[in-house]
Amino acid sequence: MTVPMTTMYRVAVVLSPAILAVAVADPAWAQAFGAPHLEAGIMVQSGPMGWIFAEQAAFYRSLSGFIRASKDDGAAMWSLFGISFLYGVFHAIGPGHGKAVISSYLVANEETWRRGVVLSFVAAAIQSVVAVLVVAIAAVLLGATARAIGVTVHVVETVSYAFVILIGFRLLLVKSRGFRVAWRDWASRRAPGAASAASFREAIAFRRQVYRLDAPAFRCEACQDDGPGPQVHGAHCHDHHDSARGHAHGPEPAELAGAGGWRRGLSAVIAVGLRPCSGAIIVLIFALAQDLFWTGTIATLIMGLGTAMTVAAIATVAVGARNLASRVATARSGLGMLIMRAIEVGAAALIAIFGVLLLLGYMASEQLWMLTG
Amino acid sequence: MDTPMMKQTRSGTFAVLLFVLSITRADAHPHVWVTLHSEIVYAADGAMTGVRHAWTFDDMFSAYALQGIPHARKGQYTREELGSLAQLNVTSLKEYGYFTYARAGGRKLKFLDAADYWLEYKNAALTLHFTLPLTAPAAAKATQIEVYDPTIFVDFEFAKDTPVLLSGAPPQCLLSVDLPHQPTPAEQLRLSQLDSDPLDASSTYGEIFANKILVKCP
Repeated sequence: MTVPMTTMYRVAVVLSPAILAVAVADPAWAQAFGAPHLEAGIMVQSGPMGWIFAEQAAFYRSLSGFIRASKDDGAAMWSLFGISFLYGVFHAIGPGHGKAVISSYLVANEETWRRGVVLSFVAAAIQSVVAVLVVAIAAVLLGATARAIGVTVHVVETVSYAFVILIGFRLLLVKSRGFRVAWRDWASRRAPGAASAASFREAIAFRRQVYRLDAPAFRCEACQDDGPGPQVHGAHCHDHHDSARGHAHGPEPAELAGAGGWRRGLSAVIAVGLRPCSGAIIVLIFALAQDLFWTGTIATLIMGLGTAMTVAAIATVAVGARNLASRVATARSGLGMLIMRAIEVGAAALIAIFGVLLLLGYMASEQLWMLTG
Repeated sequence: MDTPMMKQTRSGTFAVLLFVLSITRADAHPHVWVTLHSEIVYAADGAMTGVRHAWTFDDMFSAYALQGIPHARKGQYTREELGSLAQLNVTSLKEYGYFTYARAGGRKLKFLDAADYWLEYKNAALTLHFTLPLTAPAAAKATQIEVYDPTIFVDFEFAKDTPVLLSGAPPQCLLSVDLPHQPTPAEQLRLSQLDSDPLDASSTYGEIFANKILVKCP
């Protein structure tokens, strides 16, 4: 029993200063917390992130040459598609809030890695399609100016960030309820004498309330196969959870990964995917100017594929880390559960924070309208 | 003492660290590349009065900026046709302080709104010309001008040929453009000799440097 306890502490001790250090050392965070701007040259050139930064910038810059060349050279077109894919892969490692939100979402919601991968691909697909649609409608059909396109992207982006905030706060609300339940459980276990029967009953009642309130996240996925929808079998599912709760604190990840969860996953993915990538918009319009809109469209979709692979990989790591923490935590039932709930609350809070920072412009650096209105 | 649990914990710690590292990076890579020519303008009395920029955008961003701009001949844009876009550019740039940061004698210099601005289109690239007048002429021994975008959406790079010119500066003023890279031994040697053997105004020594302009006037 002592081993998991010490390892838990080790995780905490190792992680907290490390996370803090990363957060402080990171220019975006430093900027967000009011530190003076670093000179661009300094933060570009150091470390593995500097390398990734340089790579993706090089890929992006080479796109224009390949687009030009593919006008009358079929082979160049294939090179363009290859470079687009690599650019997508690298682009998603460096910047971007998409994977941050998706990963936090997966951690908060106890999603499976398989669902994380699919959600990552859907988000990237939406993002590419939105970029193509914006350019197709605004530039090709309406002949709009860069300014109009920039404004459009800005509006879409703001809506996307607002959705991220909404999702973050909704999750935060739901998860903090779960945390309070775990807290009461833990407190009553630690001091059984102090916890009166009344407060224990209250905790049970409260937990019932949580399971009922917490919409699909804590409900019914396990019962999906025997009914058309959660509403019909609501009562049955509650019974199931009530009986299961004797030995398991909260539903198992496998239970949650049923078919009903796709809908809530979709909301996060749409919120993230709505915002088109500035690079894709510029590439598409450049291709359009070369009368190569379709080539640009295919390149954009391939870029999205590359992005999806990276985001999926990061999402898998996030889910894996969570599962690992969960395995360590279950060794200590009361405290472990409390810590897992705290991680979920933290992940939900991260989503809300990302949303707010993005909306306030602290994290957004791809400001398409910077020079054109 | 390496229990499997500890190993797991260690790899888990590593995974979480990677995750946090990856998500806290919010800065992107440049989407706009600017090749920069700058001229530092002086009044007859030797005080600096402003900066004249000529920024050439990369071909992709140029095509983006030109989207939807009406023009008479395909592939060609006249200065008049680009007039409204030039105005839009300088209006937008104002919000970002024209990415131009000047200090003289230890204090920040302020610029008025951009004047004399126009765009030209050549070799599939747009060049934005504009002048930033100082709010008040500055007569300092050391003036420093930096051009950069802290969000790195725009990447600035000095042109290879005569990136910076002094226009009407007192003859003894010395121009240098700061290094983004570690100086080579030869450059280092020349740097160390600047006090005893200053550059003359026509020197192109500054070409090998980038991004930070320094002017020293005794």
